[in-house]
Amino acid sequence: MAWVLLIALLPALAFAAMAPMSRAVRNRMQWLPLTAMSGSLVLSFAAFVEVWRAGLGEEPVWEAAVKLAELGGNPLEVGLRIDAITAVMLLVVTIVGLCVQVYSLGYMHKDERRGWYFAVLSLFSAAMLLLVLAGDFLLLYMSWEVMGLCSYLLIGFWHEEEGPRSASIKAFLTTRVGDVGFALGLAVMWATAGTFGFGAVARFNWGAGAGLAAASAVALLLLFGAMGKSAQVPLHVWLPDAMAGPTPASALIHAATMVAAGVYLVIRAMPIFIASSHENLHAVITIGVITAVVGGLLAVVQHDIKKLLAYSTISQLGFMFVALGAGSTGAALFHLVTHAFFKSLLFLGAGVIIHATHTQDIREMGGLRRALPWTTTTFTIGALALAGLPGLSGFFSKDEILVALVNIPDAYRYGLWEKWVLVGLMLFAAGLTAFYMTRLWIRVFGDNACSLARESHKKMLVPMAVLAAISVVIGWTQPAFLTFLGHEAAWPDPLMAGLSVAVFAIGVGGGWLVYGRQVVDTEVIKARFPYAYGMLANKLYFDLTYSELLVRPFHELAGWLSRFDQRRVDGVVNGAASWWDDFAGLLWAGDIRVIDGAVNGLGSLVKRAGARVREIEVGRVQVYQQLAYAGLLIVLLVVLLLPWLRVLLGLLVPMLRGA
Amino acid sequence: MSNLLTWITFLPLIGAVVVSVLPKGRPQYAKWVAAAFAAVDLGLTGWLIAGFDRARGGAMQFAVDVPWVPQAAIRYHLGVDGISITMLALAALLGLLAVVGSWKVTDRPKTYFVMLLLLQVGMNGVFMALDFVLFYVFWELVLVPMFFLIGMWGGARREYASIKFFIYTLAGSVFMLVGILALYLAPNSGTFDMLALAKLGQAGVFRDIEGWVFLLFFLGFAVKVPIWPLHTWLPDAHVEAPTAASVLLAGILLKMGAYGFIRISLPILPHAARAWAPWIALLAVISIIYGAAVAFAQTDLKKLVAYSSVSHMGFVMLGIAAMNPEGLNGAVAAMFSHGVVTGMLFFIVGMVYERTHTRQIADLSGLSAAAPVTGGLLAFASFASLGLPGLSGFVGEFLSLLGAWRASTGTSPLFWSGLVVIAAVGVLFAAAYMLWMVLRVVLGRPSEAVRSVTDASGREIGVLLPLIALTLIVGIWWGSLLGFVDPAVKALLAATGAA
Repeated sequence: MAWVLLIALLPALAFAAMAPMSRAVRNRMQWLPLTAMSGSLVLSFAAFVEVWRAGLGEEPVWEAAVKLAELGGNPLEVGLRIDAITAVMLLVVTIVGLCVQVYSLGYMHKDERRGWYFAVLSLFSAAMLLLVLAGDFLLLYMSWEVMGLCSYLLIGFWHEEEGPRSASIKAFLTTRVGDVGFALGLAVMWATAGTFGFGAVARFNWGAGAGLAAASAVALLLLFGAMGKSAQVPLHVWLPDAMAGPTPASALIHAATMVAAGVYLVIRAMPIFIASSHENLHAVITIGVITAVVGGLLAVVQHDIKKLLAYSTISQLGFMFVALGAGSTGAALFHLVTHAFFKSLLFLGAGVIIHATHTQDIREMGGLRRALPWTTTTFTIGALALAGLPGLSGFFSKDEILVALVNIPDAYRYGLWEKWVLVGLMLFAAGLTAFYMTRLWIRVFGDNACSLARESHKKMLVPMAVLAAISVVIGWTQPAFLTFLGHEAAWPDPLMAGLSVAVFAIGVGGGWLVYGRQVVDTEVIKARFPYAYGMLANKLYFDLTYSELLVRPFHELAGWLSRFDQRRVDGVVNGAASWWDDFAGLLWAGDIRVIDGAVNGLGSLVKRAGARVREIEVGRVQVYQQLAYAGLLIVLLVVLLLPWLRVLLGLLVPMLRGA
Repeated sequence: MSNLLTWITFLPLIGAVVVSVLPKGRPQYAKWVAAAFAAVDLGLTGWLIAGFDRARGGAMQFAVDVPWVPQAAIRYHLGVDGISITMLALAALLGLLAVVGSWKVTDRPKTYFVMLLLLQVGMNGVFMALDFVLFYVFWELVLVPMFFLIGMWGGARREYASIKFFIYTLAGSVFMLVGILALYLAPNSGTFDMLALAKLGQAGVFRDIEGWVFLLFFLGFAVKVPIWPLHTWLPDAHVEAPTAASVLLAGILLKMGAYGFIRISLPILPHAARAWAPWIALLAVISIIYGAAVAFAQTDLKKLVAYSSVSHMGFVMLGIAAMNPEGLNGAVAAMFSHGVVTGMLFFIVGMVYERTHTRQIADLSGLSAAAPVTGGLLAFASFASLGLPGLSGFVGEFLSLLGAWRASTGTSPLFWSGLVVIAAVGVLFAAAYMLWMVLRVVLGRPSEAVRSVTDASGREIGVLLPLIALTLIVGIWWGSLLGFVDPAVKALLAATGAA
């Protein structure tokens, strides 16, 4: 099955072909990434079928590795691995990727650098596909970083503006904070297990004591990396800002695929978590719950449609982490898949809306349901899927997470009430989802404000229709999906489903009462709870804390060190030179004149060149110059008079040896 | 061809002689002759690589060993193993690119190209010499042309910078000279041969003097690398040097220091090396963080790159101090990559300076809008420099970290693992200063100085292309470089009993 490499290679080649071209040529090459992506999609289907036929569940269908290098004779290998998880991820990435590319044909058609946009999108797809094809943590890490680069390039795509510029660097650096953890995790993994391969690491016997501590370290360090990429609190701050990039890129990278890579990483690392300590999974669950709730709360107060969706993404990624913390990779992956489809759909819809209204502020929108019928329909499907309407995909996957939480293995040592506190918090987050999506829907489509907005081109609507259709049907595959992964097939649990429906109804109803019927004035609420609202409006002060406690001090430290370097470290050097000057002037003035005279020939060469020495340094330079001549003389003496060294050595050696 | 190494070393010397006797009225000939000699030299190096047996990369190949000053047991002994051949290849390549990159030098071109060719002799020789006196001669030979290149073709403060460079590095190498003599004069020694001395050292002959001899060599090499706090000559020299000299200074001269540790300190003084390793690692990590932080604060583009070298060479030293296969492979990979990538950065900064006559970051903005190729290349080089996987910078950094972490499983685990964590944060800092530079220089709307610049010429792109290609090849297929290095690393560690 070596042909699976083509899945990642095709988009990579498309990028390689476009990157060196001039802007004009590149702009005419948009078909190339599209063709490559279509090829990848077909091949991904083929891979999926192969895996389906093999029906191996968690076991890989095919594995291969190549030697990257040898270290002290031991091979360092990277490789590919095809199993059920890979097959699913390949399909998700290629389907969403192709939809986004087709959509972008319409969305970006007036941009003068659209060729570069498509090229980077193609490189991103290649990296993401290689990431899911990878059979080891090293190759995963490498593609992970390349994705980060593409994310950076696309967030800052419109770099003439200040906003995208600073958002791009913020995104790269924040995720790289996580990557420091990831890289250290790899170092510990290599030092302990001596391998990076998924299978080999999973089979590795970490032993007890120090080995177990190492396993814990690996698990937590990889988790830290995952938190950066998947925007988990407290490393989530980059994702809302990342919305400064083109909207279809946000749909693909910052909603559907790249941000889910952290979840994917933890899925792959799950054997290490299980081998180490259940407390590491407690950490995963805690981070997930906090992120789900914080993301949901912050989404409620957003006015920017893209930022609202971004906080929603953060919250949903938190849901996936909760599933992981409960040890249920199946539930996490299922939610990853459904979320990829409906959230990218929502972003593409948001793109149409922004195109049509020329604003991202939902307070300036309204009544778009008449002007944008297609967009309204598909967006509504996406919103309901996200909010958890029974029958749509989000309902199934969210339910699966709640079930996983209730059925959390006893080995993880949760008390009964702890378990139900977690369930309660997740239900609260789910209710928030329904609430803020209702708010969004009413603000954008609801009121009767007259709108002159016009529906977008078919190129943009068709991909949305495709994603909407998938969002409707994919939930029903739940039992098959779980079987495919080698887990136990299950339909929603009646109790959890009932609770889900209840919070959905409460969320939507609440949203409708507040924003539709306006039974309460939101301004009154804001005035009544100024402290709480201030906290939310300021994004819980995460950004402020980082800029005041980390970024600014670093700027100051760098400035201080730079001055220290010049004045102190270099000051010692220059001080030594002028000390030498005084010393030499006092004692060996005559000698220096002799040496100086001896090398005058060479010196005049430099003197002719040195007419413009800064005044302050004149004194110092003269010393240096004299020393330089002396030094040159030594060199010349050593080189030219080497044979005479014999005399010296002949005298010295017996003396010293004798002594 | 047993004289291949001799030819590679001294062909540029013939070139220098030829250039110096060229007719005075035709200065434009100088660069063509220099380029021809550098190109043939690179071709010979290519031939050398083709004939090099990688499987026996741990042994010295193509060796020449004849008496030179028999009375003092000084020999003309050259040879290359898997580590030195990578450095030699880098020197030959950057040497040619430096000549081609200096095509527009019109100020005393003959002398200029003579200096470049002389420099090439020293650089080639250092990486081949296996006799201490020969090594020292090449080592010092490098100083002279570099001194004149900075002092005569440099920027406004060229005198200060060139003389400081000369004195500082010479002061360092005087210590090394004492170290060399100490080894020669030690009981049961009496040889300058580095391979013979390594055998003696590994047998424990230098046990009594090892500690302070190591310190002497350390001072010589540390200045060259440079290791904090002996680095302040570097920013001055870099900023004032003409572009080609900056490229060779960063690309090759800094490598000589690190190479010295690998070729001399580790094999000849293994016990002392092991004892001093934690301290070297500590200084390395300080260099990483300190260099990165100071680079972040720079307002001069060239100075930023100069301080980034301090940071990157810290990773090299960390890998060396780890004294295990990961660390040493990582160190050599980082040396090679730093030569290629920083060379690229200095070439591009030179291109920008030639057009805008400023290196102040504040005056430069929107380069990619005004000159997309130049801006794109600067961004590419920056990403390579900050260690993006798939490009060469990642290989060395990552392996150095792996090696240093593995060292933490030995003695004093807390100390080492703490160092590795701090060094890994240095990777984050590298992204910070590089991306912040890209943000201000490459991105945004074109500034006054940048608005009307012309984009990179065909020659300039031609100079950068081999470097881009190497960045990608080494970054994707690590074995292309490490296939040479690892056998030598393995042999070294086996001999010193640290494997």
